[in-house]
Amino acid sequence: MTQPTPASTPAHSSLARSPVAERMAEIVGERHVLNRPSELLVYNSDGLPGYRRQPKLAVFPGTREETIAVVRLLAEEGLSFVPRGAGTGLSGGALADDIVVVGLHRLKKIISLDIENRRATVEPGVVNLRLNKFVAPHGLLYAPDPSSEAACTIGGNVAENAGGPHCLKYGVTLNHVLAMTVLLPSGDVVELGSKLGERDGYDLRGAFIGSEGCFGLALDITVKLMPRPQTVRTLLADFMSVDAAAHVTSAIIASGIVPAALEFMDGPTIRVVEDSIYAAGYPRDAEAILLIELDGLEAGVSADLEAVRRICLDGGARNVKVARDDAERMKLWQGRKKAFGAMGRLAPHLIVQDAVIPRTRLPEILDTIHRISEKYGVVVCNVFHAGDGNLHPNIAYSADDPAESERVHKAMTEIMQTCIDAGGSITGEHGVGLDKMGYMESIFSDSSLNAMCELRGVFDPERRSNPGKVVPIHACKEWNAVSGDRLRMGAARSEPRPLEADPPRPSAQ
Amino acid sequence: MSTEAVVSTIKESAAIHAPLRVAGRSTWLDAGRPVRADKTISLHDDSGVVSYVPGDLTLTVRAGTPLSEIERVTAEHEQWLPLDPYGSAEGTIGATIATASAGPLASSFGLPRDLLLGLEFVTGRGDVVRGGGKVVKNVAGFDLSRLLTGAWGTLGVITEVTLRLYAVPAVDRTFTVVLDGSEREMASLIRGIITSPLAPYALLLLNPSAARAVGLGEHPVCLVRFGGNDAVVQAQINALSQIARPKETETAVWLRVRELDGNAHTTIRVVSLPQRFLAASARILGEDVPGIHTSIDPRRGVLRLIVGAGVGDSDVGISAIGASGDLQKNGADASDVIFEKLPAEVWREVSPSVVSDDLSRGIKRAFDPHHILNPGILGD
Repeated sequence: MTQPTPASTPAHSSLARSPVAERMAEIVGERHVLNRPSELLVYNSDGLPGYRRQPKLAVFPGTREETIAVVRLLAEEGLSFVPRGAGTGLSGGALADDIVVVGLHRLKKIISLDIENRRATVEPGVVNLRLNKFVAPHGLLYAPDPSSEAACTIGGNVAENAGGPHCLKYGVTLNHVLAMTVLLPSGDVVELGSKLGERDGYDLRGAFIGSEGCFGLALDITVKLMPRPQTVRTLLADFMSVDAAAHVTSAIIASGIVPAALEFMDGPTIRVVEDSIYAAGYPRDAEAILLIELDGLEAGVSADLEAVRRICLDGGARNVKVARDDAERMKLWQGRKKAFGAMGRLAPHLIVQDAVIPRTRLPEILDTIHRISEKYGVVVCNVFHAGDGNLHPNIAYSADDPAESERVHKAMTEIMQTCIDAGGSITGEHGVGLDKMGYMESIFSDSSLNAMCELRGVFDPERRSNPGKVVPIHACKEWNAVSGDRLRMGAARSEPRPLEADPPRPSAQ
Repeated sequence: MSTEAVVSTIKESAAIHAPLRVAGRSTWLDAGRPVRADKTISLHDDSGVVSYVPGDLTLTVRAGTPLSEIERVTAEHEQWLPLDPYGSAEGTIGATIATASAGPLASSFGLPRDLLLGLEFVTGRGDVVRGGGKVVKNVAGFDLSRLLTGAWGTLGVITEVTLRLYAVPAVDRTFTVVLDGSEREMASLIRGIITSPLAPYALLLLNPSAARAVGLGEHPVCLVRFGGNDAVVQAQINALSQIARPKETETAVWLRVRELDGNAHTTIRVVSLPQRFLAASARILGEDVPGIHTSIDPRRGVLRLIVGAGVGDSDVGISAIGASGDLQKNGADASDVIFEKLPAEVWREVSPSVVSDDLSRGIKRAFDPHHILNPGILGD
C-alpha cells in the first residue's frame, strides 16, 4: 500500500531508478545503502510482530556529518523517511511504508562523560545498556531501563520517551534528558534544552522527547546520570490470586513508600517464563507474583523492606522472598525482562498493549480483563509495571488463523476501551506509532489532535519525517482543508493518510 | 473564570486583535518582561479540586487554585505536592506551571515539568486543548504539557492541571550548618556536605544577607532538609554530624526562604554545573552586599540573586557579573543567566527575547496567531 507524500510523488519513481540510492551511497558508502527488496526484508518490521511494511530504501550513516548530508538530500528531493534506532519499538513506529529508512545504529559514540557533574553526551545509536555499563565503574547509572535495554538505543528511547521498571521512582526518559542536538527534517540543526539543566524560553526539548520520529532526529543527547543507590533489595511475593496481588499493589502505592520498581506477572506469564531458558525460579503454581525493588540509603531501605513485606503478607501473599545477593536479584529480573520474548513459545504472533490506568482501579480492571479473555476464548498474559498502573496485557496467537485473529482483535479492543473508560491512557511507554493511532480520537478531542498536528507542522512543515504516525492525519484541520480543495477541483488525492484507514488491526499482513 | 468564559474572552479579543494579560492571583505579575495589554484575563476565581483519589496519588485542579489550597487539601490525606516555588504560597498552580517556577525541593522532586501529568489550556484562537492525561505515565500524543510549562501564558491560557503527588514523609526535619571561618574552611565544609552520600530533600546555601532575612544569624548558612522514614532521617543526621555541627531549625524556615523574593525588584538566576558551584560557592557567599540575598542550590546548579529596594543597578550588576565570573573560571559557556524579574526600564537593555529562534516563533504563530496572549512577556 503506497501512499506517498505530495512532495515525494515524483521522487518515488526516481527512487525506482535509484539515482537517489546512488547519491546516498556517495555519502555513506555503497555497503551502507540497501536497495534490493531481499536486503530490506530485515527492516520491514520492528519489535511489534503483526505489522509489516516494506521500505523503499535503507541508509545507514556512520557519522554526524553523513547523517546531516543524508537528511539534506532527502529534503532536497522532497522524500519522506523514518528514523530508526535498533527497531525494538513496540508500536510499529519504526516502519517505513515504501519510503526511506534512516538507520542510526552506527552512530554509537559516547561523546563525553562528565563524572563530577553526572552527565553524559552520546550519539543516538548508543545502546541503553552499553551506556549503563560504561558509567557503572564510576558509581553512576542512567535510570530509564526499558526491558529491551540490551538492544534499544538512546535515540530511540528519546523518540519514544521510553520508560522501564525503574521509572516508578526515577521517572521516564523525559526526566533524564537535559539537551539534544536535533536534525530537523529540513536539514537544519538546532540545539534544544541546555546541558546546564535549565534555560528560559519554550521547553522544546520536552516537546521533542516522545515525538516518535515525527519532529526529526537527535544527533546527540545529553543525559543526567545518578549515583548508584547505596543499597538495593529485591523481593518476590507470590499470591494464589490475581486479585490479592492487585490489592497489595494499590496498598503499597497508597502507603507512600515509593519502590524503585513494582512489577506484576500473572500465572500464565509465570509459567511461560519458567518453561523458557529465562526460568527465574518463580513459583509455577502461583497465580501472580510481585517483583518489588527498594533502593536508597541502607537504613531507610531496611525499614521500607519490612513495611512492604508486612503489606504483602497482610494482603494474602503466600511467600515473600528477599533476594540474598546480586546474582539472585539478577535472576529474578531476568525472568521479568525477558517475559515478552518467552511468550514466543506460545504462538508465532504476539499482540502487546501498553495502557495505563489509575492505580486504585487495578484489581477491578484486571478482573475485567480476565472476563474479556474468557468471553473471547483467548489467553491473556499480564506482565506489567504495576506501580505505575502501566498494563501490558499480551495475547500470543497465530495470525494465520483468521477466526483466532478476529477474536484476539475484539478482546484487545474491549480491553483498551475498559482502560480508556477508567480515565487511563492508551500508551504508557511504547508510543502510539501505527498500532494505537486508531485510539487517539478516543482520548483526545479534535482540537487537541489538531494542536498536535500544528506542533508537528512547526518541526516538520512538509510532514516527511515518519509520516502517517501518532496523530491520524484526518484530525489535522489545515491538512483537511487542503485536501478538501483538491477534491473539489477533482485533483488526485495524494496527501499522506494514515497507513491504516481503520482502527489498526492486529493481524499480520 | 470557567474554560467556556476563557474561550469567549479569547475569541472576542482575537477577533479584534486586542492583547490580553493572563493572570492568576496576580502575586507574581511583576515577574517577566513588561506586557503590552489593556485587558486582563484572570483565572483567580476558577479554583478548586476537579478530582482527587488519594490512592492514585494524583490531583486534578483548576488553574486558579492557590498552592496553599493544594497543600491544605492534600495534607488531609497525608499527601503533598512537593513544589515550593519562590514567592507567595498564595500564588496559583496555573501561574506556577506557566512560569515553571520551582524552589529548594526541586533538586529532589524535580521541576514543575517533572510533576505535571497533564493540562487543559485555551489557545490564542480560543480552542480548548488537552495535553497529557490523568495517569502517572503517559506517552500518548505529542507533549503539549511540557510545551505549555514555562511558556508564560504566551501559547495558551492554562485552565486545569493534573499533578503527581507524594506521601508526606513520616519525618521531615530541617537543620542549619553555620559556615563561618576562612573562605577555605567554608569551601571544605560545603564540599564535605555536598559530596557525602546524604540524600536530603533540599539543600540550600544562603549568604549573610539572606540568612539574616530569614532569621538565621549573621553568617552564611547551609540549610538541609531531611525527609523519609525515621531510620533514614536519623542515619543522615548522624552522617551530617560527623562532618559538621548541624543545628535543628523549624521547617517553617523554608516558607521564609520562599518569601525572600517578596519585595524584590530584581531576581536573577544563574545556572551552571554543580561542580562549579562547589568551587565557587564559598567565595560568592562570603561577599555580603546588604540588600542582595544570594542563595545557591548546588545540586540543581542554580544561584539566585534577589535584590530588594534601595540597592542600585550598579551593585546588582557587580554582584551578577561577579557570581557569573566565579562560575565561569576554567571554561567559558559554563553558566547561563536567566532574568526572572527586573525593573521595567531595565528589561530591554539586558535581556533580548528568549523565543526568537525559528521553532519558537513557529510555535507561537501556530498557538497564538493573533499575538494576543501576554505579548512581550518573553521578549518579542
